[in-house]
Amino acid sequence: MLSFLSQGRRGSGWGMALPALLLLLAFFVIPVAGLLSRSVTEPQPGLQNYETLLGSFTYIRIFLNTFLVSGVVTLITALIAFPVAWALAIMSPRIASVLFAVILLSMWTNLLARTYAWMVLLQQTGLVNKLLMGLGLTSQPLQLTNNLIGVTIGMVYIMLPFMILPLYGVIRKIDPAILQAAALCGATKGQALRRVLLPLAAPGIASGALMVFVMSLGYFVTPSLLGGTSNMMVAELIVQQVQSLVNWGMGGAAAFILLVVTLALYALQLRLFDAEAR
Amino acid sequence: MLLDFDKLGLWKWILSAICALMALFLLLPILFIVALSFGNSRWLIFPPPGWTLKWYHDLFADPRWLSAAFTSAKIALVVMVLSVALGLLASLALTRGTFRGRAVLRAFFLTPMVLPVVIIAVALYAAFLRLGLNGTFVGFVIAHLIVALPFSVITISGALETFDPSIEDAAILCGASPWEARFRVTLPAISHGLFSAAIFSFLISWDEVVLAIFMASPTLQTLPVKVWTTLRQDLTPVIAAASTLLVGLTAILMIVAALIRKGKSR
Repeated sequence: MLSFLSQGRRGSGWGMALPALLLLLAFFVIPVAGLLSRSVTEPQPGLQNYETLLGSFTYIRIFLNTFLVSGVVTLITALIAFPVAWALAIMSPRIASVLFAVILLSMWTNLLARTYAWMVLLQQTGLVNKLLMGLGLTSQPLQLTNNLIGVTIGMVYIMLPFMILPLYGVIRKIDPAILQAAALCGATKGQALRRVLLPLAAPGIASGALMVFVMSLGYFVTPSLLGGTSNMMVAELIVQQVQSLVNWGMGGAAAFILLVVTLALYALQLRLFDAEAR
Repeated sequence: MLLDFDKLGLWKWILSAICALMALFLLLPILFIVALSFGNSRWLIFPPPGWTLKWYHDLFADPRWLSAAFTSAKIALVVMVLSVALGLLASLALTRGTFRGRAVLRAFFLTPMVLPVVIIAVALYAAFLRLGLNGTFVGFVIAHLIVALPFSVITISGALETFDPSIEDAAILCGASPWEARFRVTLPAISHGLFSAAIFSFLISWDEVVLAIFMASPTLQTLPVKVWTTLRQDLTPVIAAASTLLVGLTAILMIVAALIRKGKSR
C-alpha cells in the first residue's frame, strides 16, 4: 500500500542514513582509498609496485595459488551443495530443520575454533591420517597441513553453508509441476535432472559459486593456519608486506588487485542475479 | 517427480546419504574439539586415554584469557548497540525514504561485507596509526562496527519491508506524531528484526579475527586474538577448552535467535 503520511515529501528521509554514511566514509572509504593510493606513491611515485607484483614468478604464483584454491573450493562446495540443497528443499520439514540447525551451528561457530579442529584432525598423527591408514588407503601418514590440500579442506568446510543456503532458496521456488510435465513427456530421471532441474537451479548455483569464489579469494585466517608460509595466498601476502616488511606500497598494490577482482565479480553478481529478482 | 522426495526411488537414498555425510562433516570437527577439551592427552591423541578438566582449569587460571574474554564481551556489546542504532536509522532511510539513489546507497552500505576483511583491516590499521587509535577500545569498536553494520542493515530493512507502513499512517491519523508512531508502532512490530540484528552484530564482533589482529596491542586484545597468538605457537588443548566455550555461547545465541523467530511467527 502506498504510504504518504510517514514518508513525507519527495526527497526526504536521507538524513537518517547520515550517521552510517559518515561512519563508512571516515573509517571505510577514506582509509581504503588511502591504502590504495600508497601503492602508487610509495616508496616513490610510479607503478613500480605493480611491475614487481606482476613481473616476478614469486608473486604470480601467489595469485595463481589463490585462484586455484578458490576455484577448487568453489567446485567441491557446489558438488556437495547441490544434492544437499535439493534434498533439503523436498524432504520432510522436520528433518530439514535439524539439518539447517547443523548448517547454521557450523556457520556461526568461531572461525578459529573450526580451523583449530582441522589443524588437529589433519596433522600427521591426526585422526584423518589414522583413519586412512586403518582403512589401508595409505601406509605412510599423508602431509595434509602446511600445504594447499589442508587449505582446501578447511575452506570447503567454511564455505559449504554459503553455497547450500542460496541454492536451497532457488530450488525451493521451482514449481514441481514442471518436473511432472517432464516425466509425463517421457523424460527419464537422468534426463529430467540434466535438462530441467539443473538448468532451473543454474542461477542459484552460479550465484552461490560466485559468492564462495569471491569470499575465498580474500580469505586470510584459514590459509595462513593450514597453508604455511611456502603456499601463500593473496591475503597473506598483503598482511606480510604490511606487517612484517612494512612495505605499504607493495601491500597496497596487492590489495588493489584483490579489490578490483572482488568488486568486478560482485558487480557481475548484482547484474546477473539482482536484476532477475526485481 | 524430481521434486517429490517419496517418488525418487533409489535417488532418495543417495540424496539422504549425501545429506547424512554432509551433516557428519559439518558436525564432527565441532564435537571433536569438545571431546578433546576434556581429554587428558597433551598431544591431542584421539580417542584420549582418559578424561580431565585440566585444560579448563589452565584456561581460568590464566588471567590473560579472562581479560581477553572480558575485552571481547565489552567491545561486542558496544558494537551491538551502535550497530542496531545506526542500522535502524539507515534501514528507515532505505525503506521509507523517498530520495533518489537509494539502491546505490543500499549497495554502498553492503560493500564492507563484500570486500575482503583483510583489505579493511590493513587500511584501518594505517589510518589508526595516524590517528593514534591503534590498540584502543574505540579503535576496536569502530573496526568491528564497520563489518557488523551491513548485517544489521540487511536484517532490519528486511523486517521493515514486511511491515506495512500504512499501519504507521493509521497511528499518525489517530494523532501520533511521526516519531511517536515510529517508536510506539513500528519498532515493536519489527522487534524480531532488531533482536536478530543485535545477535548477528554481537557474534560478528565477538568472533572477528582479522581486524582484531591488526587492532590489538600487547595490553588490549580480544579472545580471538589470544586464540590466534596461542595457535601460532602450538596446538595446546587449552585452545580446545576455549573453543568449546565459544561453541557453547554460539549454540545458546542461536537457540535464542530461533526462539525469537518462533515467537514472531506465532
